[in-house]
Amino acid sequence: MFERFTASAREVVVAARHEATQLGHRYIGTEHLLLGLVAIEHLGGDGSPSAAEPPAGPVGRVLAAAGIRSDYVKSEIARLIGVCPGGLGEDEADALHSIGIDLDTVRSKLEDSFGEGVLDQAHGAPAGGRLPFTPRAKKALASSLREARRLGHDHLGVEHILLGLIREADGVAGQILATKAPLRILREQLLNELTRAA
Amino acid sequence: MTDATELAADAGSADPRVGLHAVRALRILLEKLEAIQVSHARRQGWSWQEIAASLGVSKQAVHQKHAGGRRLRRER
Repeated sequence: MFERFTASAREVVVAARHEATQLGHRYIGTEHLLLGLVAIEHLGGDGSPSAAEPPAGPVGRVLAAAGIRSDYVKSEIARLIGVCPGGLGEDEADALHSIGIDLDTVRSKLEDSFGEGVLDQAHGAPAGGRLPFTPRAKKALASSLREARRLGHDHLGVEHILLGLIREADGVAGQILATKAPLRILREQLLNELTRAA
Repeated sequence: MTDATELAADAGSADPRVGLHAVRALRILLEKLEAIQVSHARRQGWSWQEIAASLGVSKQAVHQKHAGGRRLRRER
């Protein structure tokens, strides 16, 4: 499937995987694809103009106009999904204590070498390395492919990824987008931008 | 914890649940530690091959796990 992706679309997927790992998640969901889009379209931070350049492409313009930027998406992800489990809390400390490991000692030795909070911030690589896509994310990408075909495009670009995320209204990305603008409107705006650019 | 639970924990409990939870916690700790040490080694300029050798795994395995899916280029 990825053979039909443009170079930018592939970068979105790579960025999505990176974002998922950074958040300590063990899967790539529609929300990470949205973060990937936002990253590739240089929509960083809190809305102040990116040091790089203003959004160049249709996707960047549509998302920027709707206020969909990196910080916003991340805070919405935290709100909708919460912090991912997998940390070392009290239960884990007790469990390690049962075999004679004092987690506080481990923690403080690591902090001596690497600085405060290093253990709590570290995210272990998921077993097997490759993060799987959620079923919803796969559906969104399949929708993206169909959107590209419907538009008569022979490639799958970042614009089709956004269309696919919009199609999956029940996905986390769809929900986040809908907090800023009706999905129907975003879709129209994007299609208008694409026709203009053609 | 109740007294009974504390005693069980102190005695290196034979309850499989306790032991299995210890395994789970140790695995979480292990994965975090590996991430920290691999990233530190890379910052120190270690090659994937050197890191793999120290970990006792293949270069491909450590790269796939820690290099975020990027292509493994030929390196020393």
